[in-house]
Amino acid sequence: MIPAGMTDILCAKDVSKTYFDTVAKDDVVALSGISLSVREHEFVSVIGPSGCGKSTFLRIVAGLDKPTSGEILVSGRKVTGPGADRGMVFQEYALLPWKTTEANIEFGPRLKGMPKDKRRAIAQRFVDLVGLKGFEKKYPHQLSGGMRQRAAVARVLANNPTVLLMDEPFAAVDAMTRQRLQEELTTITAVERTTVLFITHAIEEAIFLSDRVVALSGRPGRIVADLRIDLPRPRRWEDLVHHAGFIGYRDELNQCIHANADAHREPA
Amino acid sequence: MSVGDRPAGEIKRPKRASTSWLAEVMPFVVGILIWQALSSLNVWPRVLFPSPLEVAHAFVADIASGVLLVNLGVSLKSLILGFALGAAIAIPLGYLMGLNRASRDFFDPLVNLLQAIPGLAWIPFAILWFGLGQGAVTFIIVMSVFFPVLHNLLTGIRMVQPVLIEAVQTLGAGRAAVISHVIFPATLPNLMTGIRLGIAFGFRSLVGGEMIASTDGLGYAIFNAQQYFQSARIVVGMLAIGITWLIMDRLILRPIEQRTTMRWGLVREGIETA
Repeated sequence: MIPAGMTDILCAKDVSKTYFDTVAKDDVVALSGISLSVREHEFVSVIGPSGCGKSTFLRIVAGLDKPTSGEILVSGRKVTGPGADRGMVFQEYALLPWKTTEANIEFGPRLKGMPKDKRRAIAQRFVDLVGLKGFEKKYPHQLSGGMRQRAAVARVLANNPTVLLMDEPFAAVDAMTRQRLQEELTTITAVERTTVLFITHAIEEAIFLSDRVVALSGRPGRIVADLRIDLPRPRRWEDLVHHAGFIGYRDELNQCIHANADAHREPA
Repeated sequence: MSVGDRPAGEIKRPKRASTSWLAEVMPFVVGILIWQALSSLNVWPRVLFPSPLEVAHAFVADIASGVLLVNLGVSLKSLILGFALGAAIAIPLGYLMGLNRASRDFFDPLVNLLQAIPGLAWIPFAILWFGLGQGAVTFIIVMSVFFPVLHNLLTGIRMVQPVLIEAVQTLGAGRAAVISHVIFPATLPNLMTGIRLGIAFGFRSLVGGEMIASTDGLGYAIFNAQQYFQSARIVVGMLAIGITWLIMDRLILRPIEQRTTMRWGLVREGIETA
């Protein structure tokens, strides 16, 4: 149950997105009437089959895409474009190759005009938090995939966003690293009390990380499940894989997604 | 995990440097020996096929008289001035076209037509407008430098990964910050390639331009030597041109270009030669 006193920090109101497919020469409805609220300190994952528009939804929240109709409110203010209150972590890391780990992480505070010693201290705190101590002066190409994604997470957190947006951030790393990054992320967001909107196609990942999992149907994406995940924290994979609750959530979401993979396809 | 692995290139470099000196000199030694052998056969008249020894004599004489260095100085001055002017127009125009849709739509057709015209085709107008001399040569170099610089810069701007721009936007970057922190550094390797190619194109036009549109410089010197059947001096001029280019390219241009790309671990892709 949602603890009392928590406020909605992010609010999507009836968000739809239609775009023109230049190959098919036809309008495609990517998202249809998404309404979703995320509370402060809440970790919400959005899952769905590929092409369901979950990444499009995140991009609309980030202000990188515009909705065809509906609106997004963050801290009560309407989203009209990208902004520092909605920092995003991308699957492809998107670190600036010409900046060191440290310079990447302190980039947000630097844009805000924070003096060098102050932002360096912040960068160091997040370098330590994500376990990149000793790699402050390395360039992104000198880091492994997992380390790059740690740096990308630190870069957004150092900027103190209202909500952390993550678009399949662990899809490009190997399975072992992925599990470790997932465990680290739950620890970090618990420490920082971060509000997170997380996009993935991996059901188990969503359950493992989240307080709530929202499932979208196949195209056009609409919400078909909104499930509260009531599992103990801190979460560790070795504890959860055999946890009855975890398995129950997984089966429920699996069923829901399969039943709705194509069910809502609109007639041509 | 490849924690702290150094990129392969950084490890290999010292090994290569130790063997490269001999490997680079060897072909020249062999070339000169063959050249000497051919000329000692005495099949062709001396005036058509000077021997390495004659060339060496002419080289020493031209150095001693100062002719060679004066001509080299004239040529380099035209090249540097022409390059500076060409780049000074091409670089701002490139960023304007790359960042502003309307100006790209306006300039693109003009650039496409004009870049199909070789720099040397401007010789007639260069002579009409500036008369025979360094002014005409400089103008031809400007026309030769301009397009490779512009073209590579535009390619570089096109190749900037959109996700880098989006990432910094979600960190609070506005347009100015996107340009200074993403677009400028991201285009630097391509810009360096453009500059290197621009100087290469300019250098070719320099020699051609001086032959026809000037009364001094290395290009003029070898053209003039031909009229007096001083074939050894032609070779001296040609070698001076070649060596000057090698020194500029190896010691200045390539290291600058490589430093930017290697330091950032960037792979050079889609770099075209205009």
